Amino acid sequence: MKPLVVGLFVVALPLTAAAQAENYNIDPYHTYPYFEIEHLGTAMLRGRFDKTAGKFSIDRTAKTGELEVVIQTGSVTTGDNDRDGRPRTRDEHLRAPDFFNVAEFPTMVLRSTAVRFAGDNPDTIEGNLTLLGVTKPVTLRIERWRCGPDPRTQGRRFQCGGNATGSFKRSDFGMRFGIPNVGDEVRLWMSFYGFRQ
Amino acid sequence: MEQLLANPAVQAGIAPFFVALIVAIALSPFRLAGIAVIAAFLVGMHLLTGIQFTPLTVTRKFLILAIVAALLGPLLDFVLKPARFGAFALGAATALCSVWVLWPVLVQQPLQEAWLLGGSAFLAIAVMVGFAQARLADDAIRAGAAALALGLGAGVAAVLGASLVYGLYGVALGAGAGGYLLPQMMRGKRTAAGATFVLPAISIGGFIAVGAMALAELPWYSVLILALIPVAVGLPGPDRGPVWLQAVVFSLYGLVIAGIACVVAWPSTQP
Repeated sequence: MKPLVVGLFVVALPLTAAAQAENYNIDPYHTYPYFEIEHLGTAMLRGRFDKTAGKFSIDRTAKTGELEVVIQTGSVTTGDNDRDGRPRTRDEHLRAPDFFNVAEFPTMVLRSTAVRFAGDNPDTIEGNLTLLGVTKPVTLRIERWRCGPDPRTQGRRFQCGGNATGSFKRSDFGMRFGIPNVGDEVRLWMSFYGFRQ
Repeated sequence: MEQLLANPAVQAGIAPFFVALIVAIALSPFRLAGIAVIAAFLVGMHLLTGIQFTPLTVTRKFLILAIVAALLGPLLDFVLKPARFGAFALGAATALCSVWVLWPVLVQQPLQEAWLLGGSAFLAIAVMVGFAQARLADDAIRAGAAALALGLGAGVAAVLGASLVYGLYGVALGAGAGGYLLPQMMRGKRTAAGATFVLPAISIGGFIAVGAMALAELPWYSVLILALIPVAVGLPGPDRGPVWLQAVVFSLYGLVIAGIACVVAWPSTQP
């Protein structure tokens, strides 16, 4: 009898661990990837993507997690969307093959390969960014992470979210136009929320 | 030097022009001066964005087709020697290839938009390449003028369609055609054009136009107007006049059509 109990326990152990993983769907209305890039060697210009979807999971016991974020490249905005007598705006130019090539690559995807913890909270996300058909590793540092009941639903919905930062070279993804006048290094800053399923 | 090579005027204009000039002068005795245009385009592309073949994007597939056209050209001139019917078949084949290249973009469009873009691309490339190969390949001045006007016209139109990269590719093609024409104008003597010049030059011009239509926002009707450049350059002109005058007049024929294509490509006030 005793070996049978031990056997059942061993078989059930991974199921118990799996049950502790919490799954979250990203809130598209509060999740925005921002980017920052040097322009003509002078100022840093900022832009963001308005349409993002995805999911993440977190297992606090095993200190593991997963993340997948799908960003609609056509939703890029830098605040310049009024032609004002010019033939095209900067946002239209960013959607062209010179930069995000939206017609051919309508999405870019960030997929985690490992989530590192510092104490009880996730601290670093290592993953792959797929942009313009090229997949390269990127690392995001989670600079803020909070979880708790969503006050807008009187606590019926549980949410986690925060901010993450990282950087990459756009030339690694084949986006070479304008370098060095338009910087090569892209800095990312992202606000994200997820609702527990 | 690095700063100089980062200047778009050097990348798309000066460097391709001088490369074409040198290649045209060096290869003219071998009836291969037409290679000047693909040399100029590749130099321009290398300086502007670098030359890469993976991942195989629409632009890179167009690049491969341009290189294939440049290899096929001398083969057609020296071995196969196609008749006029063959020229139009060549135009249709190039047009089919361009639709195949655009396929990943077309399948993401609503059906009506996909037909409009695909149909315009097919028609434009078939007319450009077919007509140029049939009517301009034996006339190096008209062929050079067509490539000059098509490069500059497609380039400016692409800029109006929101793609500076495609615009500068077009300027590189125009500069290459200029480098091919100049020695002929100065010597007062024609060189050989043939498929060696016409096939890559006109194909590249067509690819720039349809690429700017499918990937950026160049209107389809502007592309169809650009397709008339080889037809306009084939109109009667000062055929018995000096070579430089012919080059100027036939280039103007093409540039008028290019100008119209650019005027209609000017976008409305709001995105």
